[in-house]
Amino acid sequence: MRTQRLFIASLASAALVLAGCSQGGTNNEETAKPTETQTADEGETTGGTAEKPAPFDQEVRVAVVQQSGQGDYFQQYLNGTKQQAEALGMKLDVYDAQGNNATQATQLDQAIASGVDAIIVRHGQTDTLCPGVNDALAKDIAVIIYDVEIQSCAPDAIQTQQSDAIMASLVLDQMVKDIGTDQKVGYVNVLGIAPLDRRHAVWEEYKKTNNWDELFFTGTYTNSSATDTAPMVVSALQANGDVVAIYAPYDELTKGTLSAIEQVKGAKSDIKVYGADISTADIELMIAENSSWKATGATDPNAIGAAVVRTLALSMAGQLDTKKVEFPPILITQDFLRENNITNMDELRAKEPALNIADTSSADWIPSVKF
Amino acid sequence: MTQATETKAPVSTSDSSAMDTVRDIVVKYGFIAVTIGFFVYFAVTEPAFATSSSIFAMLKFASVTAILGIGVMFTMVVGGLDLSIGSTAGLSVQLAAMTMVFYNMNAGTAIVAVLLGGLVVGCLNAFLIVVCKIPDLLATLAVMFVIQGAKLIPVNGQSVSGGMVRQDGTVAPGKFDPAFLKIDRGYVGPVPLPVVIMLVVVVVAWFILARTSWGRILYAIGSNPDAARLAGVRVGLHRALAYIMCSLFASVGGLILVSRIGQGDVAAGSSSLLEAVAVALVGTSVLGLAKPNAWGTLLGALLIAIVLTGMNMKGLQYYHQDTAKGLVLLLALLFSFTVSRRKARYTPAT
Repeated sequence: MRTQRLFIASLASAALVLAGCSQGGTNNEETAKPTETQTADEGETTGGTAEKPAPFDQEVRVAVVQQSGQGDYFQQYLNGTKQQAEALGMKLDVYDAQGNNATQATQLDQAIASGVDAIIVRHGQTDTLCPGVNDALAKDIAVIIYDVEIQSCAPDAIQTQQSDAIMASLVLDQMVKDIGTDQKVGYVNVLGIAPLDRRHAVWEEYKKTNNWDELFFTGTYTNSSATDTAPMVVSALQANGDVVAIYAPYDELTKGTLSAIEQVKGAKSDIKVYGADISTADIELMIAENSSWKATGATDPNAIGAAVVRTLALSMAGQLDTKKVEFPPILITQDFLRENNITNMDELRAKEPALNIADTSSADWIPSVKF
Repeated sequence: MTQATETKAPVSTSDSSAMDTVRDIVVKYGFIAVTIGFFVYFAVTEPAFATSSSIFAMLKFASVTAILGIGVMFTMVVGGLDLSIGSTAGLSVQLAAMTMVFYNMNAGTAIVAVLLGGLVVGCLNAFLIVVCKIPDLLATLAVMFVIQGAKLIPVNGQSVSGGMVRQDGTVAPGKFDPAFLKIDRGYVGPVPLPVVIMLVVVVVAWFILARTSWGRILYAIGSNPDAARLAGVRVGLHRALAYIMCSLFASVGGLILVSRIGQGDVAAGSSSLLEAVAVALVGTSVLGLAKPNAWGTLLGALLIAIVLTGMNMKGLQYYHQDTAKGLVLLLALLFSFTVSRRKARYTPAT
């Protein structure tokens, strides 16, 4: 009896430890991806012939403090960051909080304590990061932030983000073109997350101007947003089968919406879905037969990861004259992908060189990484 | 077990008794040596590792895990395990945020609310385990899920932060009290406040377990509840108290967490359970005690902080770190269960 209990207990703890390792949830599609993207997205560097100004005449140590590193998007972002950092001769330490905000705060402290010259903070909560960011700035460590509203409390930090307003309006313009005004629509989004809030603001505006009737608003943000959002959209569609289009401005939510439409029997097969973001997995979904995903607005996470490093380099060399840099997205439609037989990110980059944003935050001494 | 060793001793040769001495030394000091070894290795190879700011950052990093580990340790001492500890810490995060942001109360009220919340969870666990006789792993597993979900009902699943717009369109009246944020960001002299709290918690736990008769009663229940009952110990009462202690420590850990995050993060605490259990288990291997103990738990938390910080500085990825965490735990368990001649006193769910 005793041994049996001991066995059960150790089994339980083993299961717990295993569960702990997979913290952050795994989406098969996504875990399978990084190897592919890492081999595929080996960037090539161009330019950077001029002599490097101080402090880049010697090795610069930079820490990346990221809120989450799992998933396709984050892997690509880090890939771009790493390659651009290497091109500039930076030594990069990566702190990954695995989605845990408290850990991110301590890791920011640790990064500061480790004596780096600069810190790149990617995602996270303003309230959580403010004390650490101000602490770093006070210690003369350059801080660059991606996708956190940090300037409200740390005005000296450089804030970067993809332009969510442009991204949303590019896609919603397409939606207006496709469905017109006075229509019944659905909305899948989660508020309280900075980029999604910015897309939400644009949505509210378009909804009003085009007199769209929003029949449902649902969605959740978890470790596996797509899987968890799908059943919510299923219920919403069962109750409101007459929507003609759905806006789901984050690719995990878009994926959840697509799988919900497939699951609902009797749902109109011609519901049009408008999303956001792009990856090879997303492209596959968009070009699939009968796919409802009509358009998406996107930046290349590799290119953004690299552009953030270039922006940091410019600022450390004293050549950046702004504290806020936005990276422009482009519109990608299902028709465009199908007409050009695009099936993955590489082919998309070949057809849409604008995705590289290699001219953003560039200088003659910075070798720009292109993907 | 003790009997077996005693009868074996006279017939063993001098060779094997030398072996035994070596084994005793390994069991007693092995884990401390491993910890020091890691520290020295990282200090030598990474110049920034052993600076005072880096050491304080590591201690701060260890504080929440150590405090939750101490909580879990109390339930392990009485032969159980509290799986709800992480979600109790998460509940504290939500309670503190709601008290200050929704009801515009100050830091003191928030702390009281959080500790009361911990007390309620502890009593619930104790009631289910002692009165309803549900096995502790199962009862606390159920409670874990209930809390994880229920804490989000009043906030509609949103993270609570100062000035937020609530579901009904109104703006929340309060914000985080600056005094409250000092729990994580304050200092006593050069020492960060959470580190001081951690040390106080460890000393209190050590004192209770090693220096009071109550501590001996708890250990007695853990090693043989029937014998303890026959000796006149009110086993149910003391097990109940151990679970209440556990939840109270969980809410203290939660206080530091929420002060660190600065908002009512919906996901906070959910990953703390495994680390807390791990450090408490690591603690069993220290000084050859082969039973849950306070200083061992602290050492476990420190070792994990040292390894993770060092690995971060070496630029290793989170999956390397998870692997390292698992290996550290495994090593500790080998010390406790395999190398040690003393039979490990921790057998959960006994």
